[in-house]
Amino acid sequence: MSGITPDLLALQLFTGLALGSVFVLLAVGLSLIFGLLTVVNFAHGAFYMVGAYVGVFLLGLTGNFWISLVFAPILVGTLGLAVERFLVRPLYGRGIDYPLLLTFGLGLVLVELVRILYGLEGVPFDTPPLLRGAVDIGIGYFPLYRLFLIAVTALLVLALWLFIERTSYGLIIRAGARDPEIVRVLGVDISRVWLIVFAIGTGVAGLAGILSAPMRSVIPDMGSTVLVEAFVVTVVGGMGSLIGAVVAGLLVGVVVAFTSLFWPDFSDLSMFVLMAAVLLIRPQGLFGQKGLMG
Amino acid sequence: MNKPMDNVAEVQISGRRLAGLVRLIAEHRVAAVIIFLMVFPFLAPYKALAIDVLIYGLFALGFNMVFGYLGVLSFGHAAFFGAGAYATGIAMVHFGVPWMPAIFVGVLMSGLTAAIMGAMAIRTRGIYFAMVTLALAQCVYYIIYHMEEYSGGEDGLTGVSVRTVDFGIATVDMMQDPMGKYYIMLAFTAVAIFLFSRILNSPFGAVLEAIRENENRARACGYNVLLTKWVTFVLSGLFCGLAGALSAIHLSVVPIEYLHYHQSGLAVMMALLGGMGTFFGPFIGAMAFLMLEDAITLMTTHWQLFLGAIFMIFVLFFPRGIWGSFLHWISR
Amino acid sequence: MTPTTTDIIRAEGVTKRFGKFTALNNVSASFPRGQLTAVIGPNGAGKSTFFNVISGAFPPTAGRVIFDGHDITGTPQYAFARLGIAKSFQITNVFPELTALENVRIAIQAMHRRFDIWTPRSRLTEMREQAADLLDLVGLRQHRTRHAENLAHGEQRALEIAMALACDPRLLLLDEPTAGMSPEETLVMMDLITRLADERTVILVEHKMKLVMGISNHLIVLHHGELLAEGTPDDIRDNDEVRRVYLGQGSH
Repeated sequence: MSGITPDLLALQLFTGLALGSVFVLLAVGLSLIFGLLTVVNFAHGAFYMVGAYVGVFLLGLTGNFWISLVFAPILVGTLGLAVERFLVRPLYGRGIDYPLLLTFGLGLVLVELVRILYGLEGVPFDTPPLLRGAVDIGIGYFPLYRLFLIAVTALLVLALWLFIERTSYGLIIRAGARDPEIVRVLGVDISRVWLIVFAIGTGVAGLAGILSAPMRSVIPDMGSTVLVEAFVVTVVGGMGSLIGAVVAGLLVGVVVAFTSLFWPDFSDLSMFVLMAAVLLIRPQGLFGQKGLMG
Repeated sequence: MNKPMDNVAEVQISGRRLAGLVRLIAEHRVAAVIIFLMVFPFLAPYKALAIDVLIYGLFALGFNMVFGYLGVLSFGHAAFFGAGAYATGIAMVHFGVPWMPAIFVGVLMSGLTAAIMGAMAIRTRGIYFAMVTLALAQCVYYIIYHMEEYSGGEDGLTGVSVRTVDFGIATVDMMQDPMGKYYIMLAFTAVAIFLFSRILNSPFGAVLEAIRENENRARACGYNVLLTKWVTFVLSGLFCGLAGALSAIHLSVVPIEYLHYHQSGLAVMMALLGGMGTFFGPFIGAMAFLMLEDAITLMTTHWQLFLGAIFMIFVLFFPRGIWGSFLHWISR
Repeated sequence: MTPTTTDIIRAEGVTKRFGKFTALNNVSASFPRGQLTAVIGPNGAGKSTFFNVISGAFPPTAGRVIFDGHDITGTPQYAFARLGIAKSFQITNVFPELTALENVRIAIQAMHRRFDIWTPRSRLTEMREQAADLLDLVGLRQHRTRHAENLAHGEQRALEIAMALACDPRLLLLDEPTAGMSPEETLVMMDLITRLADERTVILVEHKMKLVMGISNHLIVLHHGELLAEGTPDDIRDNDEVRRVYLGQGSH
């Protein structure tokens, strides 16, 4: 193929990593919630969408991207907190399908509420002035905002990792993922842990939403495709595995970026081909434990 | 003090009568559904709604074999509904196949889709299955989307028209005679309901219950659980495929949305609303859903808000669904 | 130990690891045909792991299991019933919302009609009669129409044994069949097991040593995942090592 240079390939790799960063954020939240609560959050895409709209709202209110970036995820996490406490919690112990079904209904409600508030059409979300333009990264010019996206994702994943691996609260989370009974015996209120993990998971989805707002159009349906993408990444990485979510998110991003370079018509299919391959070879996912999803 | 006592006695007597009636209906469940559906168009506000109840009732019925009887939640049934609709439509539009054989093509194609998807998804267990089936169905969405030449891509497939159906003694004008069309669709649905009931009542149906009750024990008894689940998935896909095929003929078009996971969501919601794992539940759920949608969209464009809220209320407070709650109530 | 045709099932160098933890280490043991063999050992000896390996619940990390001269290592669980090996679980394992009769009928059906989607169930009268006979055998005659979840603990265990007998097994594996039972229930169950052992080979995994001493012909003692001793009840009773292991744990 003419015009394909090593530099172009390298640039496309970066594009893939930027795309993958959003996948990583989405899948990390989904995996965290699943790993601890055994709940598949079907409203995850809706929380992502709400994150973008809260960003739009805060940006309109303050005019400051950075304030929006910090507070949008916090507000979405707070919404997640309320959802876990009042809607999901009554369903524990009633069969694993019920929380999933509930969040499916919740997703419909959230999307329609945003439609009522903001209409069906998309709303603009400008890239903050500081992050506009492109920078030379040695192999060519790359959009600054995408570099920022990769950096934020890396920081957040690092922070989450430190939180889970190095803090006493993280220890409780790890123990709780393995055996909630043990945590309860130790005198820790496991339902508080679940509450907080649900809030973190949905908050990270909200962060993904506001971060993608300048790149993808902000419309009420934006979470619909994203939910599928998050599922694909989670299936590839392995349910409940954080490392899996990170590796699979980046992998899927890169695969999609390269197929859109070589075979643009089929870029939306490539991630499913990857997923199908993983399902056939390693049904529990790249980093999934056998039997975890029992 | 006496009066309430009398009332209680009265309620109990009528309750017993009601239970007897329900038992009678349950014993002749196939006849009961078909007779009800035969008179339903005279009760429905308009005929198009009645046809939708047939189609979506059948869709939810097929879905319920996996969800209600086998106890596994699939979010991929849109692929079977869509495959049935598209294959029927494509056979008619692009290959000139007459409508009746085209329906069989549709059903077979959805069975094939279910066989392939099932083979990939069936090894994943529990809640994971819902995610995997959703993602695989979405993959089917993109494949059909890209087969633009045959499927019409984003605009959907158009021109799936059946003008008249000639029975020799009578001719039904499918465009002008909604009642005639309804009864032709009912004939297919009735056969499907009979076959469905027969499967549930067979030894294989007993195995489904056993797996739902206790998968490990079923395995230890000597049942190949994975193969049984796969076969159930395929059978379920055939019924949903018929629903899709009928829908293509009913609407003359196949919108790409038929393959979207929201379409799977419809089957999930209707089955739960009516009562999962009950024979009448899916049709009751489809009926309640469509009539409610009809009534609410007259007042507001935000039907989805009400739908989501109603569904959440059912999940939280009435997980047995309408028919399931009713059965529970009379069997107290 | 030379394998002979009198053995119905034989474990050869069976090792099972879970991650870094070795639950069974190179255990070789054979089970004589037509006898009642008990596998005993203190808590954590690897009894249940051993049971699960020979009953096919999971494959061993290393080693082989030979049944009737055939290597059955790695054979899927569902195929065991058709080979003639049946088991009852340590934790009660029935179909809770089905009747006792239907529980056993389902187990019988697994031998004949696994994928029959056409015959009405009401025509399976022969199967129902066989199921009723098995319920009679385990003393559940009067409970046929009750849902399994409503049976007493001991009755559920008996129901499980009736289900295990449905495939007319040559080898019956029982994992702590008297766990959680009252002394009365235990007596009834031990009596049932003795009767069953008259007609077929039975392997019993048991925690309580005293319970099995009187009824078994052959004993295998596991300790820390290794074979500690093997022999007749008298051999085992006189074995110093076995005595020390059991005394160390507090006598049972």
